[in-house]
Amino acid sequence: MSEHENHKDMDMEHNHDKPAEDSEIKSWKRKLFWSWLLTIPIAVLMLSERLFGFAIVEMPYSIILILALGFPVIFVFGWETIRSGIRGLFTFYFNMDSLIALGTIIAYLTGIFYFTGIVADYSGVAAMIMAFFTTGKYVESVARGRASSEIKKLLELGAKKSMILRNGKEIEVDIEEVKIGDVMIVKPGEKIPTDGIVVKGESSVDESMVTGESLPVEKKKGNPVIGATINQDGILYVKATKVGNDTFLAHIIELVEQTQSSKIPIQRLADKITSVFVPIILTLAVLTFANWWFFSGDLSRAIGVGVAVLVIACPCALGLATPTALMVGSGMGAKRGILIRKGEAIQTMKEIKIVVFDKTGTITKGKPEVTDIYSKVKESYLLEVAATLEKLSEHPIAHAIVSKANLKKYKKVTSFSIVRGKGIVGKIGSKEVVIGNRALMNDKKIKYSDFEKEIIKFESAGKTVMIVSENKKVIGAIAVADAIKEDSVEAIGRLNANGYRSVMITGDNERTAKAIAEQVGIKEVIANVLPEDKAKKVEELQNGGMVAFIGDGINDAPALKQSNVGIAMGTGTDIAIEAGDIVLVKGSLVGVVQAINLSKATFKKIKQNLFWAFAYNIVAIPLAVGGVLHPVVAEIAMALSSITVVTNANLLRRKKI
Amino acid sequence: MKKLKLVIEGMHCSSCAGNIERSLKKVAGVKEATVSLMLKKGTVECEDNVSDDEIKKAVVRAGYKVARIE
Repeated sequence: MSEHENHKDMDMEHNHDKPAEDSEIKSWKRKLFWSWLLTIPIAVLMLSERLFGFAIVEMPYSIILILALGFPVIFVFGWETIRSGIRGLFTFYFNMDSLIALGTIIAYLTGIFYFTGIVADYSGVAAMIMAFFTTGKYVESVARGRASSEIKKLLELGAKKSMILRNGKEIEVDIEEVKIGDVMIVKPGEKIPTDGIVVKGESSVDESMVTGESLPVEKKKGNPVIGATINQDGILYVKATKVGNDTFLAHIIELVEQTQSSKIPIQRLADKITSVFVPIILTLAVLTFANWWFFSGDLSRAIGVGVAVLVIACPCALGLATPTALMVGSGMGAKRGILIRKGEAIQTMKEIKIVVFDKTGTITKGKPEVTDIYSKVKESYLLEVAATLEKLSEHPIAHAIVSKANLKKYKKVTSFSIVRGKGIVGKIGSKEVVIGNRALMNDKKIKYSDFEKEIIKFESAGKTVMIVSENKKVIGAIAVADAIKEDSVEAIGRLNANGYRSVMITGDNERTAKAIAEQVGIKEVIANVLPEDKAKKVEELQNGGMVAFIGDGINDAPALKQSNVGIAMGTGTDIAIEAGDIVLVKGSLVGVVQAINLSKATFKKIKQNLFWAFAYNIVAIPLAVGGVLHPVVAEIAMALSSITVVTNANLLRRKKI
Repeated sequence: MKKLKLVIEGMHCSSCAGNIERSLKKVAGVKEATVSLMLKKGTVECEDNVSDDEIKKAVVRAGYKVARIE
C-alpha cells in the first residue's frame, strides 16, 4: 500500500483514537521493562553461589529479598494477568491467565512457607515465570500487530474531513456531515473523501489502496471516483453519491471483517480443544503434583513439577494458529483487490478441480459493440428499426445497437416484451418486429435460411448475431462483439497449466461461444444456457469434482451459491457484497489465479501452524509431567510456541501469489 | 433478528475469544456469536428484543469489557 498521505491528511487524522493493538504493545513493553529490572537481581541472588562461589546475601535474608523484589513483578506488573486468571477460576471461564496465575502464585507462596520449614523456596521462579510470560506476550503482540498491519491500514484508510462547497463557499466539515449531493473539492495529493462523480476538473487518481490497481486512473467529468483514493495532479470537484456505510470502502471493510469472524472447518478441532484445555491442564497438574508427592515423598519437588505442568501448557498457540494466518492471508488479498468473504473458501479451494467462467463481463469486457451489419434493406433503415425497439431493453447488446444507430428521434413503439435469453418482440406502428437469436426465430416460425451463411461467418469469429425481422420477414442481421479482457488469456493459460479443467458457460450459441473460448484457451463450452439455468449446469459439473464459479455477482448469484467456491467479479466501482465466497474488486481474471494461489498458501500455513501447536503440546506436556523440565524452562518453551505460530503466519508474506 | 458489532477490550489470548463466545451464546435470544481476537471485535446475531445491556453483561461475565456497540 502506498504512503501518499500528505501533512494535511496527517493533520486530519490526529484526533482519532489510537488502534488498540498499539496500546497493547506499549503496555506489554512497559511491564516487560519493569519485570526484568526486578527479575535480573532475583536471578543473580538465586544463582550467586553457582556464579561466584559464594552467596552474596545469606539465607534466609536472600529469600526475603527475593520475595520483596518478586512481589511487584507478580502482583503489580503482572496484576492484570493474575486478576483475569483468578477471576477465570472462580467464574469457570478459564483462560490462559488462569494457568499462569496459579503457577506463579503457588511458586511465590513457597517462599513464604519456606519459613515454616515444609518446602524448599521456589519464589524466585515465580518472578522469572512472570517475566518470561510478559516477554512472550510482548513479542507475540508485536507479531500479531504485524500480521494485521494491512487490514489495519484498510480500516484507517477513510478520510476524516472534507472540503465542500456550500452556498458558493468552501468550508471544511467532518466526513460524517457530508451528504449525498454535496460537491467536494479535492486538491492534488488529498484523499477523495467519499464515493462520488466528478463534476468538474481533470486528474489522475491512485486507486491502488482499494482496488489493488497499481496504475493511476484518469478521471474527468462524469467519471465515478472511490472514497479514500488519492487525487494526484489536478483539482477535482466531486459530487458525493454514497456516504457512510454504503461506500465502496465501507463494503470492503465489512467483507474483511466477515473473513475474520468466519470459522474455518479445520479450526473446529483446535477450538474444541482450546475450550476444554485449561480445565484439563488444571486437573493434570493436580494429579501430577499428587503423584510426585505420593511416590517420591518430596513435597518441594512435587510442587516444582506441578508448576511446570501449569505453565508449559499453551492453548494460545492452538487458538492463534488459524486467525493469524487468516489475517495475514486476507491482508495480502485485500492489498491486491481480493477479498475473502468466507474463510471456509480457503479450505475448499484446494479441492477445486473445475473452474467455470461466465462469459459476458467475466472473460469479456461486457461492453459489446456492433461490428458487422448484413442487410437486405438499407442499412440505416435496419438500424433504425432495431434501435427503436432495443431502446426499451436494458441488455448490453441492446445498448450496443442503440449507440451504433445513434438516432435523433424515435418512432412510437406500441407493444414491447422481452423473451429472456432469446431477444425482444414488439410493434413499431403497425409493423410487428422480432429481434433475437435463432431460437426466437424458430419459436416465431420466421425463416432465416437466406442469412444462414453470413450468420455462421459472424459466429465463427466469436460474434453474437441478432436477427432482425419485420412482419415475419428477416430484413437483416447485426453482429455484436464483446472484446476479451486483455489478461483473460494469460489467466486462463495459467489455470490450464496448473491442471484445472476450465469451462465457459454462456447464453450465446455454440459457435460464437466456441470461437471466444478458443481465443482465450478454454477447451470446454456450455452454450445456449439461459441465465436461470446456470446454477443447474454448475450442479451437473459438480459430479466431476469441486467447482469454482466465476461470475459478476449480480446475474450469477444463484450459480455462485451453487458452486463450491463462488468468486464474484467487481466492476471497479461496485462490488457484489452478498454473493460469492471471494470477491474480486478489479474485474481482472488474473485475480482468480491469485485468489486460488493465495487460498492454497494460506490454508497450508494454517495447517502448518496447527501442526506445530499440537505437536508442541503433545511433546511438552508429557515432559513436564515427567519432571524433566524446570518450571522456568517450561515457561520459556510456552512463550516460544505462540511466538513461533504467529511468526510463521507472518512468513506467508514471502509467498509469491 | 438484528446484528450487533461489539468492540471488545481486554482480550489477549484465544481462549479469551472462546470464553466470550460461550458467554454470549448463553444469553437468551442470541443465535450466533463470533469473536475475533485479531480484530478485537465480536459479531452477535440475536432477536430484536435482546438489549445492548444484556450483551454487555455477558461479555463482562466472561471477564472482559465492551468498549462500544455499533
